[in-house]
Parts: sequence; structure tokens; C-alpha cells
Amino acid sequence: MLPCVTAPPASSDATGTVVSIEGLTKRFGSITAVNELTFSLAPGTITGFLGPNGAGKTTTLRVLLGLAAPTGGRALVFGRAYADVADPALRIGAVLEATDFHPGRSGRDHLRTLSQAARLPDSRVDEVLRVVELEGAARRRVKGYSLGMRQRLGLASALLGDPELLVLDEPANGLDPEGVRWLREFLRRFAREGRTVLVSSHVLAEVAQTVDNVVIINRGRLVIAAPLAELTARLGGGVRVRSPQLPELGRALDAAGITAQTNGAGVLHVHGTTSDRVGEIAAAAGVVLHELAPQDSSLEEVFLDLTSEEPA
Amino acid sequence: MTAQLRAELLKVRSTRTTIGLVLGMGALVLLFIVLTTSLTGAREISSVDDQISVFAIGSFSGLFSALAGILLVTGEFRFGTIRPTLLFTPRRDRVIGSKAAAAFVAGLVFGVLGAALAVGVGTAILSGRGIEITPSGSDFALLAVGTVAGAALWGTIGVGLGAVVRNQVGAIIGLLAWGFVIENLLFALAPSEGRFTPGEAQNALMGQGDAHLLDPLPAAAVLVAWTVAAAVAGAVMTMRRDVD
Repeated sequence: MLPCVTAPPASSDATGTVVSIEGLTKRFGSITAVNELTFSLAPGTITGFLGPNGAGKTTTLRVLLGLAAPTGGRALVFGRAYADVADPALRIGAVLEATDFHPGRSGRDHLRTLSQAARLPDSRVDEVLRVVELEGAARRRVKGYSLGMRQRLGLASALLGDPELLVLDEPANGLDPEGVRWLREFLRRFAREGRTVLVSSHVLAEVAQTVDNVVIINRGRLVIAAPLAELTARLGGGVRVRSPQLPELGRALDAAGITAQTNGAGVLHVHGTTSDRVGEIAAAAGVVLHELAPQDSSLEEVFLDLTSEEPA
Repeated sequence: MTAQLRAELLKVRSTRTTIGLVLGMGALVLLFIVLTTSLTGAREISSVDDQISVFAIGSFSGLFSALAGILLVTGEFRFGTIRPTLLFTPRRDRVIGSKAAAAFVAGLVFGVLGAALAVGVGTAILSGRGIEITPSGSDFALLAVGTVAGAALWGTIGVGLGAVVRNQVGAIIGLLAWGFVIENLLFALAPSEGRFTPGEAQNALMGQGDAHLLDPLPAAAVLVAWTVAAAVAGAVMTMRRDVD
């Protein structure tokens, strides 16, 4: 019995979540890699799974994909533990490491060892090789592949079963800018078809142009799970003001309903407004300004801010 | 099971590892059989037991099929292919079971080649020296069964050992230490216990004439028991442990 490999993805299970991580904890000896983590993914979205190296992203994905057992909590795909999903390769495609190949095996044979396990025809192997643009190198041994080619071969293995969910761990590592752009466009196309993507990265900028939602973790704990737009609106921007009359300016801003923080060194950070407005308020209050600078607080700064070491 | 078995057989065939092991085995068996049948004095190589013990050189195929079995598992951990393998087939007992079966099949090939080389080249050289071939047809049949079945079972033992140890070098060293040192020591020092080791059981199964060895039938049961134990241990250990 040959499963259909070209049908559009079926809708996810009754709960409507493709992935649900519920109070997940994973300990290795005395080290807690993932600590009561909870988040979920809705179908048809691209979610960036972000955090600094060592935050617990890969561990979370390993548990989600059934490679490691949780210490506590659950990690479900389509409402089930990975091992209990029928024909998982036909619903979930995943790449955890870019280098998971036998160097002496050809790219095509690598894919065939997987397609045969999933009862997929060789023609499907050739299809995914075309999708990732590796037809030319398919019969060469992986030993001679560049890192970018290996990344694409890994992606091809994830696509073999025409899955509804794609899980990629740091897929942009080692890709040149061209490759990153290719990947970005590929993931967008994939999600436009109503499928779901979970893509991890330790660099927000890598995925900021691609993702709809972000899940940021640090030291195994959830920092924030929100739509990217919300994160940008909530934390981005701001105005930096230097003035010899900070208390007066603070009162004037407060009266206008604008929040501001001082760093105690004569500098005020004003959020949720523009430099124009701050200038007008200062003029109306007769406050002298020494500096008025709109802060182009990049997402990267926000990310670093959110994931920086907290005092213990 | 059959889909995963096909995949595992493709893994065996699609790198140069297996053909390298086959060539290595062939070269080793050829070297030993040529040296022993050419250089041994005619009087020391005339009896049935003498000749069977020389033709048993084909059982080196078991060492190489065990290596193939070890590499079929530890290679996946070494190169990380265990991850995609388990993503496609999360049932780990099925993966190890299929590897055990694939290594068994590969072992049959090793065994047939090893037995054919040892018996074919050995009898040719002895006949060329004018030495009579003394073992009967049934002696040769037992030798062939013992060599081939032993090589197949060793392939599966290799899979079990590889799945328990995971580390490639560690598993190979373990196999060599067991096969070349521990078994021989055990059999030399305590033959009544040592004869239950898989290697000595295979010697018995091939019809070797050492009085301390088991009879062929119980020897076959012992070898099968070792094989099943290794495969089950490999499957259980693979199911219990996380994969990095």
C-alpha cells in the first residue's frame, strides 16, 4: 500500500494544535536543560524557536521528536507522543543536525534508506532532490558535499514524506546569504500551503524575516511566546533623551501619559512614542534638551535583552 | 518490519564498508588456508580432525560479519544517521530487529564465501600435494553449516553488541578481545565452561574434533541463545536510552 505523497496536508487533530509542549522538563543528572516549558503551535504558522546556545532548544526538539524521554511533562505532535504517531515520516519532517550522513553513501542512497523505511517510492526521492536542487550531486558520495549541500540534503530527507509539520534545528548554520534567502523563501512557500514550521535559531535576525511567531527560551525556561509583530511593538523603538532637567521632563511626559525610565546618569529612555512628540512636550514644558535621539532598537537588541543573564 | 529490513539491507549495500570487509575476510582466509595447507607436513594434515580444523579457517568469516553488524549500528551513532533513522521509524525494537536480520543475511554471504574459499582452495592445494582428502561428505556438510550459520549468527551478535556499546571503537575492541583472548583463555583454563562461549560453540557446530567441545546440536542451541540474548540486549538498551 503506497501512501499518497502529493496530497495537500490534512488538517491537524481535533485540538487544533500541531505541537504542544506541556510543562516539559528534561534533566541530565544535576543539570536541568528544559524547565517546565509550555508552548504550542497552531497550524499554518512559522514559529521561530529562539534562545542563546545552550538554552535548551535542541533538547526540547529531541524530546518532541521522540529521541529523548522527558523527565517531566509532555511534548506532543498532533496530540500524541512522537512514537505513537502513525507513519510519522508522512506527517512530520525534521532535521536536527546538518551532518547526519554516512560520508561514504551517496545523497540519493541516503534518502533511499529513509524512503524505503517509510514505504515511499524512489521517484519521491528524485522529487525531493529536485526541490532542494541537488539532482546533479545526488549520486556522489556525501563526503564531497559542501555544508550548504548537506543542509539541503537534510531538508530533502525531512520533505520525503510530504509532511504537514517541519521541524528544523538551526537550519541556517553554515549557509551562505544566498542559501539563507533560498531557505526563507522555501519555508514561506511551505507555510502558505497551510503547513506548520518550527525553526530554531540562536540568531533572531536569521529568522526575523521569516517567522510569524517567536518562542524565546533561556536556561530551559520560557521567556516569551508571542507573534513577532507583538514583540516588535512591545519592545522595539524608544527615544533617548539627555537633559539637565530630567525630573521636570519626567513629570511632563507622565502628564502626557508617556512612560520613561532614567538610567540615573542624566539619560532618559522614553517608550511608546516618537522623538517628535518628546521634543514638543519638552518645549511646552520649557525643558532644555541636550540630546534627543530616536533609538532604532533592533530586534536583535530586544532578543539579547530578553535572553541576557539574569542575576541569580 | 519488511520495509525497515529493506532499508537496513540498503544501508549494508550502499557504502564501501561491506565490500571492504568481504575483501578483507577473503584475503585473510586465503592467506591462512594457503599457508597452512602448503607448509604443514603431510603427516600432520592427513586425519579428518586435522583437515577439518584447517578448513575451519573459513570461520574467520564470523569475525568479519560481526564487524559488519557492529558497524551497521555504531556507524549510525558515529555519523548521526541514527537520528533520521529513528525519526522515520520511532519503534526502536523494530530498527534493531531489522538490523539484526540484515546483519544475519550479510553474515550468510560472508559465511558462504569464507567456507567456499577455505574448502575450495584448501582441498585444491592438498590434492595438488598428493594428500588424500579424508573428511566425508557429511563432515564437509557439517563444516559448511557451522561456518555459514555461525557467520550469520555472528552478524546478529555484532548488531547486539554494537547497540549495547554504541561506541564504534569500543565495540570492535570488545569483540576482538572477546574472540581472540577471553574465549581462548576460558576454554583453555576451564573447558567445561569455556565450551559454552559462542566461538567454541561455533567450533563445535563445525564438527571440530576437540573432545572438550559440545556436540553439534547443543552447540547450535548455545550459539542461537547467545545471538538472541545479544539482539534482545541491544534492543532493550536502545529503547531505554536517549539518542543525542
